[in-house]
Amino acid sequence: MSLKVDYKQKTALMFHMPAIVLLTLITMVPLIYNIRISFYDFSLTRAGSRDIFVGLENYKMILSDHEFWNSMWVTAKFVITSTFIQLVLGVVIALMLNYYSGALNRLLASLIMIPMMVAPLVVGLMYSFILNPQFGLYSFLVDLFHLNLSKTPLSAGGSALLVLILTDIWEWTPFMALMILAALKAAPIEPYEAALIDGANRSQIFFRITIPLIRPVIAASIILRGVEACKVFDKAFILTGGGPGNSTEVIDLFTYREAFVNYNFSYAAALCVVLFIIMLIFGILYWNFIIRKQSND
Amino acid sequence: MTKKALAIRRTVLIIFILFIFIYLIPYFWLISTSFKTRVEAFSIPPKLIFKPTMENYRMVFIEKNFNKNLLNSIIVAFFVTSISLTVGLPSAYAFSRFCMKGDKILFFYLLGTRFTPVIVLSLPLYFIMADLKLLNSFLGIILAHSAFNIAFVVWMMKGFFDTIPKEIDESARVDGCSWFGSFFRIAIPLAAHGIAATSIFCVINSWNEFLMAFILTGYKTATLPVALPGLMTPQGTFWGQIAAVGSVITIPVLIFAFIVQKYMVQGMSAGAIK
Repeated sequence: MSLKVDYKQKTALMFHMPAIVLLTLITMVPLIYNIRISFYDFSLTRAGSRDIFVGLENYKMILSDHEFWNSMWVTAKFVITSTFIQLVLGVVIALMLNYYSGALNRLLASLIMIPMMVAPLVVGLMYSFILNPQFGLYSFLVDLFHLNLSKTPLSAGGSALLVLILTDIWEWTPFMALMILAALKAAPIEPYEAALIDGANRSQIFFRITIPLIRPVIAASIILRGVEACKVFDKAFILTGGGPGNSTEVIDLFTYREAFVNYNFSYAAALCVVLFIIMLIFGILYWNFIIRKQSND
Repeated sequence: MTKKALAIRRTVLIIFILFIFIYLIPYFWLISTSFKTRVEAFSIPPKLIFKPTMENYRMVFIEKNFNKNLLNSIIVAFFVTSISLTVGLPSAYAFSRFCMKGDKILFFYLLGTRFTPVIVLSLPLYFIMADLKLLNSFLGIILAHSAFNIAFVVWMMKGFFDTIPKEIDESARVDGCSWFGSFFRIAIPLAAHGIAATSIFCVINSWNEFLMAFILTGYKTATLPVALPGLMTPQGTFWGQIAAVGSVITIPVLIFAFIVQKYMVQGMSAGAIK
């Protein structure tokens, strides 16, 4: 090992140092502290409970808590449905956008991206405007077309979850569309030329050439959107508050409620550890299938 | 192109624009409500033509003191962006230029902070900040928002630094420039537009964030999204004023977003696509 290599190592470490120090302080320390709390019985409603060690008791409680399983199920329904619909719509919009080039393309893309720039909290509020039974656009349209629909979709469990999914689709389909558009633009032209010479038709070109070319980006987008969808909080908080009943109580909302409404701090900390492990699995998947593949190219 | 093909192209374009317009109605609805009086906002069928009023803005920002929350949002976003860039840029540069033992682990850790749910960090930070008497302080929320943004800066800026040819660094090194010199004098100026785009993303991330700010800030330091649900009171919801605050939250972001539109996907997918 030469001296020069050693010097490079030291320089690299110096460049990384500020990030390592700060991230250790504001992410690593809290996460470890969180794990510690999860082994105690800390609750604001019981004095002195911060020092009662209970071991894995909180984790056992989670496994037998049907409200936890309910919110896991609600989150799963939410994540799978909204990510899937976003993907399908995103591909369609991307293909249409790709049809136009130059200034027109940029203008259309700018308009398309408005929803994902709006703060999620404001998206939730917008939909409570639309769905307001007194003056909302929704009830106006229901009346106008004499539709056989409930005027207050947020008051029934199934339709409230559908509304929540709809808001997520509205907000994040543009993301899928723009990701896929970028992939389409970066795709090489040679396979298309060859296919045209061989007399392939449109659907053959789409399924045999376009889809395989953009598959890596589709995979990356699905994981990224899936992870973000798992973290949904703001929209559910403002739009449904988890209700009616607990039909829209997504996992982050459930954890928040345990921590800051019921003040079961240790229980919530254990929930956070469980959430963290789930996200870690997503992270490892992403690392193995997306990032490692990239660096191999 | 034949006449028929051109006609089809035009028709599809019109349908597409119409679709985008309908898609954006919820947002237009919000903006227009902010300029309506209470009676106009509640009228059915919806009033499309009305005399715009600034009353909602005056009420909420001056009478209800939301200008203070606006200022808080600006302060937090400014410092979060500064800290994240100061800490994130050198690290991004090192990832782009050096191979260090263990830098794969560090890179994975950064990905991890991106994937970590906000609530998972907010809960322990709440206890730690409470012990350090940092709840309801600017320092607390700024550090907390930086936690997510540093990873973001590193991911996004590594991509920009990678596009600068290594030969430029090397010739500077041959001329006797240190690594720090080539970072400050060569890499940063050459990646200036990337840094601008990244900072706008940091501002937007912090500006739009709700949950962490909701938990860690208090009356004195509440940002705009945190103060917003306060307009839904048991006595009634001030829809016009909510719309006014919602517009003020979103319009600057949209202006910024249009400026960096070219880098939008790159930022959103930081670390996903090269």
